[in-house]
Parts: sequence; structure tokens; C-alpha cells
Amino acid sequence: MNDLDYVQLYAEKMREDNTLFKQQKKLIEAQLRGSSSLFGKMFSQNFKVQAREYLRKRGLL
Amino acid sequence: MEKGYILQGDVIVIHRDLTDLDFFVRDFLTILKKHSDYLIVSGFVSIASGRTRGTEDVDLLMPIMDKIKFTAFFQDLTNNGFWCYQGDSSEELYPYIKDLQSIRFARVNEMFPNMEVIPITEKRKAKYFEFTHPQKMKIHNFEFKVPPLEFEILYKELILKGKKDLDDAKHLRTFFATILKKERFKEYEPIIRAELS
Repeated sequence: MNDLDYVQLYAEKMREDNTLFKQQKKLIEAQLRGSSSLFGKMFSQNFKVQAREYLRKRGLL
Repeated sequence: MEKGYILQGDVIVIHRDLTDLDFFVRDFLTILKKHSDYLIVSGFVSIASGRTRGTEDVDLLMPIMDKIKFTAFFQDLTNNGFWCYQGDSSEELYPYIKDLQSIRFARVNEMFPNMEVIPITEKRKAKYFEFTHPQKMKIHNFEFKVPPLEFEILYKELILKGKKDLDDAKHLRTFFATILKKERFKEYEPIIRAELS
């Protein structure tokens, strides 16, 4: 099964059964917690200054 | 077990619990709505309706505002726990708005999620069209505005075209299959294709 088929299958099941949203919530929140923890540690000295430096280095600012 | 969504009048009601990402968007919109109209576009539309993928940013269209209004909006955001990637004062940030460049906001001491605020005018025809034809979506008591679903799908398929975008479009086409309207696809396609020329 390719990625698009998986997307389609999951969307079809989710349309009929909202209990699948529970898995989605877990994934989204796990990602946000991971990101928060990572950047919190990386920029612990001065968050805004270090975050902007990081963004500039990656061409995002 | 319930269906994933129902159409209640002109509002799409998604049957799921709010996530931390929804709370971020809701808190941002609570502030923004005091100052401006808006439209949530792109990835969050798919994620709000069940697409299971990670995301770092939420995209939002906002009509361009004058400096006085922007200053009040910016102060309200900073007073309520948000910071802006691009700067710490409206003096620094207003040139971005004036030049129709995006700026990004996150919660204090967080990088993600962030809200990418995209200023628009009537000259950005496709964006202005979707902005003026909003679709309401609701999750519990959190109601927000997104583009017409057919417009969002075509925009991802015809303009953005990345793998993530095509997967999002596939999800939307499948999840909302029972309420999508063929005539709307026909109506919106030339508006979106005009972006390519």
C-alpha cells in the first residue's frame, strides 16, 4: 500500500468512526511536547535571542 | 462511536476532542478577532479534520491593517503571552505587514506551534477570494473560519503540489466526500489557475 492509499483508507475510516481521532490527538500532542522540551533545553539561556539566532542560521528569518 | 463530522446548517462540526494545537489556535484567534477578520488556511484545515501528521505552523490570512491598529493588536498579543519571531516592537514589525510579508507568533518560551500571519489585500486575488468566502468549522465550542473545502483542495493540488499538500488534499477529498460539490470545483479552478499565470 502506498502513502496516498494509506491516507485515503484512514480518512474513510475516520469519516465513519470518530474514535480514530484519539490516535491523532496523541500524535499531535506528543510532537508538541517533544518540540517544547527540545527547544526549551536548546535555548535555556535567553530564549528569544537564541531562537532568533537559530532561525537566522537556517534562513528562516 | 459517531461519524467523524456532520454538517449543521452551514457549519461543519467535527466530532473530536480539542488538542493542544487547537487551544493554541483558539487562544490566538480570541485576541486577533478583537482587532481583525481572518481565515485559517492550509495544513491546519486538514489536521483539524483528522489528517494525522505533525505540524509546526498554522497559516492565517489577515487583511492588511494600518499601523495604529497593528500596534494595538501586537500589544494585545504580547500582553497575553505571545512573542514574534521577527521583532519585539510594532516599529520593527509594521514594515513586514506593509510589504505583505508574513510574521510568525508563538507562545512565550516556545518555538512551535507558531501562527504565520499572512497579510493580504484585494490584489492577491485567489487569497482574497477564499478570505471572502469562508466556511465555518467547529470542534466543541471552538468555531473558526477556513476556505471553502473545494478551494482548499484545488489550491493544494494545483499550486502547492508538494507531497504533504497532495496527501492533505487526498485526505480532504476522502473525509469530506459526502459534502463536496462538483460545481464548486468548476467555479474555483479558474480562480486558482490564474495564480499560475
